[in-house]
Amino acid sequence: MTTPFWFVVAALVFYGIAFLGYGRWYDRNVWKPDAKRTTPAHMYMDGVEFFPASRYVLWGYQFKSVAALGPILGPFIALQYGWLPALIWIILGNFFIGWLQDYGAIMVSVRNNGRSFGPISYEFTGASGRSTLLGFILFYLQMISATFVFFIAQFWNTLPGTFAATVGIIITAVIVGQLMYKVRLNVGLTTLIGLLLVVLSIVAGVYLRTPTDPFGAWSAPFWAALVGVFLFVASVLPLPSLIQPMNFISFFPTFIAVILIIIGGLLSPVFGVSLQQPAWKGFWSPATGPLWPMMFLAIACGAISGWHSLVGSSTTSKQLDLETDAHPVGAGAMLSEGLVALASLAAYMVLAPGEITKNTTAWVAGAIRLTEGFLGGKGAEAFLATFFGVSLVLYAITVQSLVTRFWRLISAEVAGQGRFAILGQKHVATFLGILIAWLFAVSGSWNNLWLYFGGSNQLLAGLALMLISIHLARAQSQSGWTFWPAMFMIVTTILGLAFQTYVFFNAVYTGKTLVQPPLGTIPWAAHTLDAIFTLVGVMLIVLGLRMAVMTIRSYLASRAQPMAVAGQTATPAR
Amino acid sequence: MFWRRNKKTEQEAPAEGGETGEKQGLGNVMKDVLYGMASHGNVTAALRTRMYMEHLFMFITLGDMLGIPVLPPYYSLRILPYAVPNIESWKQRVFRERDFTDALY
Repeated sequence: MTTPFWFVVAALVFYGIAFLGYGRWYDRNVWKPDAKRTTPAHMYMDGVEFFPASRYVLWGYQFKSVAALGPILGPFIALQYGWLPALIWIILGNFFIGWLQDYGAIMVSVRNNGRSFGPISYEFTGASGRSTLLGFILFYLQMISATFVFFIAQFWNTLPGTFAATVGIIITAVIVGQLMYKVRLNVGLTTLIGLLLVVLSIVAGVYLRTPTDPFGAWSAPFWAALVGVFLFVASVLPLPSLIQPMNFISFFPTFIAVILIIIGGLLSPVFGVSLQQPAWKGFWSPATGPLWPMMFLAIACGAISGWHSLVGSSTTSKQLDLETDAHPVGAGAMLSEGLVALASLAAYMVLAPGEITKNTTAWVAGAIRLTEGFLGGKGAEAFLATFFGVSLVLYAITVQSLVTRFWRLISAEVAGQGRFAILGQKHVATFLGILIAWLFAVSGSWNNLWLYFGGSNQLLAGLALMLISIHLARAQSQSGWTFWPAMFMIVTTILGLAFQTYVFFNAVYTGKTLVQPPLGTIPWAAHTLDAIFTLVGVMLIVLGLRMAVMTIRSYLASRAQPMAVAGQTATPAR
Repeated sequence: MFWRRNKKTEQEAPAEGGETGEKQGLGNVMKDVLYGMASHGNVTAALRTRMYMEHLFMFITLGDMLGIPVLPPYYSLRILPYAVPNIESWKQRVFRERDFTDALY
């Protein structure tokens, strides 16, 4: 029990039971998918948005779309309570809540003619429900942006070589985009050229090391500004010019990195890599507060994540060939993401307490520890450091490019007409979105911002579970399996957000700012940011509570007065 | 087609869910998963980009079908035979309820 091997095996067993045992039982008794029922992919087939795709394609797509920085960095914060609570939450959270949400989101959309969560929330909770959801998602996007901009800047700042490698991969992406869409070169050959250039970029990163200067010219604000420039360009250019080929080419190093860490965990007894972190450190962490509810906010995507429901209901559900594919696609992808979180936890577990630094680059050190035994030993350390470091950057930068673009599109929707139409303009909306994220990021209070991000993400998951429960209640099906997890998530996240808001309010009240240098050394800037963060917390709580109340009312009304729902076989309500 | 469908269609599939679709070879499964992870999102995004450009073209040429006359009917009628195969799916896409959650990917 002294190596990560047993924990990887235990998770595989638990997730196997979740998928084959509980999953199939739930599938058969609650959703009752029917392979003969026409799915939206067939009903509205247009070859663009609606078309049937293989379950394996969709599993791969869903997994790639949901796996990002969340399952990698969440366990780092949760480690402040010891690795055991984090391990239990990753396994049991996913077992009882996580996959139910991903799978349910796809099925709700399939049973509602392939509609996304916006129109579904409109039907279930009315126009104000949709507006509240829109407002909540706007704040949620800013929290993602602030944390991800901070992390990319920090990775570039503290992992010398990752910046040069990232620039090399960005250039590679532009070349790959031109070869694919302009030259129309064979995809296989283009991929081969792209992979070769990616390897060259990583090798170049080993030699072209950028300076690390925490509070000088090469500080986090400088790096965060560079991140902003990239995001601005990526967001305003057409998708095939940069974002698409960047996502395509980044897939290879990022997923090879995770697979290598899982292999490293399984081979840990062979290479004598042992657990160094304590299993339990205590219920209270000075940095983040009480284990409940804060740890449940810290580990987001590995156990449950609201982002997944947006992906599942906006794209995957429109391409499901058979209803029976929803379980392997939705549940399969979520449980696989649990393994990514577990691999990351293993990477932190093998580091000595002294090696866990304040910044999150400890993941790279842990990944090297797990893999160097079978990847060239100490001699390969420099290459592995750049490889794992740039993989972290790519995980963040690819998702953040999409988030920035999504922000721009939502801004156009919110402010596209009327007096403030200029705020919806393409360049203005992108610039403002990045400026706010940059300002939040350079505050340096990443620990607290991550908890805001985790809280809003988990609260979104709770709301998604409520929408699923409403649908099931309307159809007189068993809704308790999703309703009670929804209640748990809503209560936990609201309390967590309230605690975090109190932390910022306390900073304003006592004058002990949470903002780090360089902005932390300017009193008025630090206090203003503390106050803004307090307001952000209040807004997240108000919007989340409002949405929660509306969905609970709708749920109770649906239980009291069920209605005929297309495609849902009626069974006695729980 | 660029995407692979499950070989067993709705008519052939069993009524109880869970084991639908014929067993694919491991190679094909791996190929599908790799395609899904690496390229499916890109392919759908490229299709959407083309879709928006087609929408623009259809609006300009056959906008009067949706009550937005742009070209004089003479030119619309000249183009009509070439546009007929796309009209149904165009109308369906244009009239479909959309909101911000559709713009995610």
